[in-house]
Amino acid sequence: MAEGNILGPARNRVDGKAKVTGAAKYSVEFEVPKCAYAWPVDSNIAKGKITGIDTSAAQKSPGVLAIVSHLNAPKPKEPGAKESRDSGHGIRNEERVPFADNEVHYAGQYVALVVAQTIEQARHAARLVRVSYAPEQPLLEMEEAEHRARKPSKNHDENVQLKTGNVDAAFADSSLTRIEQTYSTPTETHNPIEMSGTIAAWEADDKLTLWDSTQFVKGVQSIVSRAWNLPTENVRVICPFVGGAFGCKGAVWPHVLAAAMAAKAAGVPVKFHVRRQDMFTSIGHRTPTQQKVSLAATPDGKLKAMRHVTNTLTSTVGQFTESAGARSTGVMYASPSIWVEETVFPVNMSTPTFMRAPGECPGSYALECAMDELAYALKMDPVELRIINHADNHPVKNVPFSAKHLKECYQVGAEKFGWSKRNPKPASMRDGELLVGWGMATKTYPAHIQGAAARVTLKADGSATVQCATHDLGTGAYTAFTQISSEQLGLPFEKIRFELGKSDYPFGPVAGGSNSTATVGKALHELAEALHQTLAQLAIKDPKSPLQNQNPQDISMVAPGRLGLKTDSSKSDTFIDILRRVRRDSIIVETPLKTEQANKNWAFQSWGADFVEVKINPVLPRVQVTRAVSVINCGRVVTFKPARNQIIGGVNMGIGMALMEATEYDPQTGLPAIRNLADYHVVTNADAPVIDVAFVGEPDFTFNPIGCRGIGEIGIVGAAAAVANAVYHATGKRVRDLPITLDKLI
Amino acid sequence: MNPFAYTRAASADDAVNGIAAKPRAKFLGGGTNLVDLMKMGVEAPETLIDINRLPLAQIEQLPNGGGVRIGAMVRNSDLAEHALIKSSYPVLSEALLSGASPQLRNMATVGGNLLQRTRCYYFYDPAFPACNKRNPGSGCGAINGYNRIHAILGQSDQCIATNPSDMCVALAALDAVVRVRGPKGEREIPFADFHRLPGDTANIDTNLAPDELITAVDLPAIPFAARSHYLKVRDRASYAFALVSVAAALDLDSSQQIKAARVALGGVAHKPWRARKAEEELTGKTADELTFRAAAEAELAAARGYKHNIFKIELAKRAITQALSTVAAVS
Ligand SMILES: Cc1cc2nc3c(=O)[nH]c(=O)nc-3n(C[C@H](O)[C@H](O)[C@H](O)COP(=O)(O)OP(=O)(O)OC[C@H]3O[C@@H](n4cnc5c(N)ncnc54)[C@H](O)[C@@H]3O)c2cc1C
Ligand code: SF4
Repeated sequence: MAEGNILGPARNRVDGKAKVTGAAKYSVEFEVPKCAYAWPVDSNIAKGKITGIDTSAAQKSPGVLAIVSHLNAPKPKEPGAKESRDSGHGIRNEERVPFADNEVHYAGQYVALVVAQTIEQARHAARLVRVSYAPEQPLLEMEEAEHRARKPSKNHDENVQLKTGNVDAAFADSSLTRIEQTYSTPTETHNPIEMSGTIAAWEADDKLTLWDSTQFVKGVQSIVSRAWNLPTENVRVICPFVGGAFGCKGAVWPHVLAAAMAAKAAGVPVKFHVRRQDMFTSIGHRTPTQQKVSLAATPDGKLKAMRHVTNTLTSTVGQFTESAGARSTGVMYASPSIWVEETVFPVNMSTPTFMRAPGECPGSYALECAMDELAYALKMDPVELRIINHADNHPVKNVPFSAKHLKECYQVGAEKFGWSKRNPKPASMRDGELLVGWGMATKTYPAHIQGAAARVTLKADGSATVQCATHDLGTGAYTAFTQISSEQLGLPFEKIRFELGKSDYPFGPVAGGSNSTATVGKALHELAEALHQTLAQLAIKDPKSPLQNQNPQDISMVAPGRLGLKTDSSKSDTFIDILRRVRRDSIIVETPLKTEQANKNWAFQSWGADFVEVKINPVLPRVQVTRAVSVINCGRVVTFKPARNQIIGGVNMGIGMALMEATEYDPQTGLPAIRNLADYHVVTNADAPVIDVAFVGEPDFTFNPIGCRGIGEIGIVGAAAAVANAVYHATGKRVRDLPITLDKLI
Repeated sequence: MNPFAYTRAASADDAVNGIAAKPRAKFLGGGTNLVDLMKMGVEAPETLIDINRLPLAQIEQLPNGGGVRIGAMVRNSDLAEHALIKSSYPVLSEALLSGASPQLRNMATVGGNLLQRTRCYYFYDPAFPACNKRNPGSGCGAINGYNRIHAILGQSDQCIATNPSDMCVALAALDAVVRVRGPKGEREIPFADFHRLPGDTANIDTNLAPDELITAVDLPAIPFAARSHYLKVRDRASYAFALVSVAAALDLDSSQQIKAARVALGGVAHKPWRARKAEEELTGKTADELTFRAAAEAELAAARGYKHNIFKIELAKRAITQALSTVAAVS
């Protein structure tokens, strides 16, 4: 383990003070003159037609400025939802413009929006709106939607129906140890503390500003400008801070377009802050999954076949699919035959979306529980089983994994945890009356990189402002980008001001798929080269510069803030001196957006291992996670503290997934029965164990010049399986449908 | 939220007169339940009479060993941390501390806690058309819906909601008396008669008249209540309502024979459930696990579950047994 090699400095958050003092302004906190407030009216049927909307009482209610519905809404056009997400066109997972027509596709769909001068007036008037429906029989269950099921061949350009080798032959071979089990996960809802929200202000008929809580300012800009047929730059999107997202702010959801429509109708800026209860129906959720996993292995543990069949739900107004099998069984272990199938069932429920590690997270839960079951069937240590099946090459793409240090994750994790003291026999370990269980699981998440651009303004005093339309979801991105800018540009950390969250800035892609640090990091690397070349051009023409008349190709940064000859570093000049001598207060350098070409010779994945201890009172078997070790191999860690936070947050979210998170629906109306934070349980401090996080490996310079592979999602992957495996070890009971609430252990 | 008027009562009489004059008024205690329900559109009082300034925030020992009087405006946190309560009625302190969060307990009052309404999803969210409690005659959404948190004892086919209070389970076990004042003067309501079973009037939670003010709760002197315990079983380690809870106290002689027992259950019924059958079963027996389990079986014999809450029957039995074992082990 060479931590010095991969760990960046443990920076405090550059925005920490602004956040704790309340100075950090979140999107819906901006004070926009004359701003009115919107309050939605939701459908409480899952399918049917709106037959009438009686707004007479609401119209007369004090302060009401407009009531928008399909009867009168200004109609933007459908902004081409289906274009690739990498193109910068923005993402829409619900492919329907709100208030488009009188159709109801799911319970909780916005059917009208009341705009009033105050939020209280809007809320009151919304209750006075009477909507009548002609309900139709909705499809709410997987079985009911059988006839409409489809098998998508791809998910974002990636194959999701996979077949290598001869799976059938292996499963027919009775000399192999075989297991086959079905695992299920419920609907889970992101529930960041900051609800989604948009302020829309039309400055002119063709000019719109949106303050929107989003993971993708440029995507919002693209979609909204195309919806209203405006030049892209006429729509400005502002979002300096996001109070958590986990994926639910990556796509443009109905409230964004609805806010713009309402502002147009009311003739004033409108703020539409999504209610907590609508966070369960209008901004996506993790779709429930049913996953059948079959494994066959030789008596000494070598996998011969893996099969992973996933069924998930999607809505009737979207196509989102959660590729659980392809993103777990499709990458995790060396098996000569792999068969992954995926089927999606469209039902009358709101549209699902990506939630932290979409696919990898539920997929790894199923696969890593199945691996544990296989280890027991083989009477083999689960860590050993995984080491035996370690994949040096991508098992489907057949190219080597870059800078993979998974074995080290197992080894370091096992050591820190004390795994060797584990008695593998279920229900054999005790702490007084309590059952003790130790479980583990592998983590993996792909390294994604996209194209981004950046701009720097370097001042003669040696300070710089760097801009990119990227995002900080509360993750510490401001701090990481300040750190990378400092290293790459060659300026002190304190002298850098990093600005993000504005569509005016150079392009940044969606902050999703753990791509931001790698993507923007690379853009900052390119920006630094461009800056240094610009400075070199000034220096070589300057008679007073030691670099005069040198070939700019021979010049590079030889020390922070200093350019010099690559061959003779005694010939050098500082950034500040170069600027001062040409009497420039500042220079601005900007890099263009380039599309990122995937390196097909390698497979890039981050890896990790979770080790978890649970304690369970056998009489009242609520599971308590008492400690966890998480060891991560994600290339270079740009700055240690926020990175560690990401893993801790991800593992805790995985614990929540394992033990308590579930959005339950009313089978009669299709409405979520659970749609507030009292009933939707996420881990509290009392549920969260001490989590020991370690990083191992080496920087992955094959992947990008910063050497980092991203860290936002991998924390949750595998964590639920590690908990579920620990529960089995503690109790001897294998619960295969999450969450593992105490009733399932009675 | 409907527009509403706000007034502040200067005295208990002022409060009672105010509410008598305005039938669609409600008292405002800590507001942690009422304001929430107003925002959801479940409650729509025309006037809020703020009773936070009433001098009802004392906890006092009653004369001649008569127990303790707790003012209706005592905050849940203050009650939980009060030395007299912690030493003489630990079950009450523990029940309070197991409820909600510190912030909520700092606001919540004894009077408000007594009247907090069910957390039945269908009641709390008016998007659901059917709820006899919210809208009499509309049906019960929970019976054939998602009913994990619902009742297994004393329910009717009109309503299977549970009372969510932890504090009230302890008060039921302690035979508390609710002191109220109305236009016709003061009266006392024994705790067992305070909350109601749903029957076919699911919309009425308690026997308190709409124009009555709760002024205090009296706890009788129960020396053996010093040996008492509250056990709350829930879906996460804190900040969750009870799936099942047990308030228990035991009076044991030197040979571990049970002279008297108090057992009440939460999370199982429309009211805090005094487990009289279990108590009968316990009295005169030896305090051991077999006795405790038999008592639990007796109490739950009449229980009936639904699709998502059937597990509560066994859970309640285990919780009773565990809580009594814990109490018996208290020296
Ligand atoms: C997220 C959340 C979690 C919670 N978790 C728990 C839990 O785990 N366990 C638990 O027990 N509780 C829990 N609670 C509920 C909490 O205990 C109650 O909201 C609180 O006790 C109510 O007290 P209050 O003073 O705020 O009442 P208010 O909201 O002010 O009033 C409630 C009702 O009582 C009436 N009222 C108030 N005082 C009087 C009086 N003196 N005389 C007559 N009528 C009166 C009001 O008119 C109103 O109808 C939780 C609440 C929330 C919001
Ligand atoms: S259980 Fe009671 S409160 Fe819940 S829906 Fe039925 S009637 Fe309403």
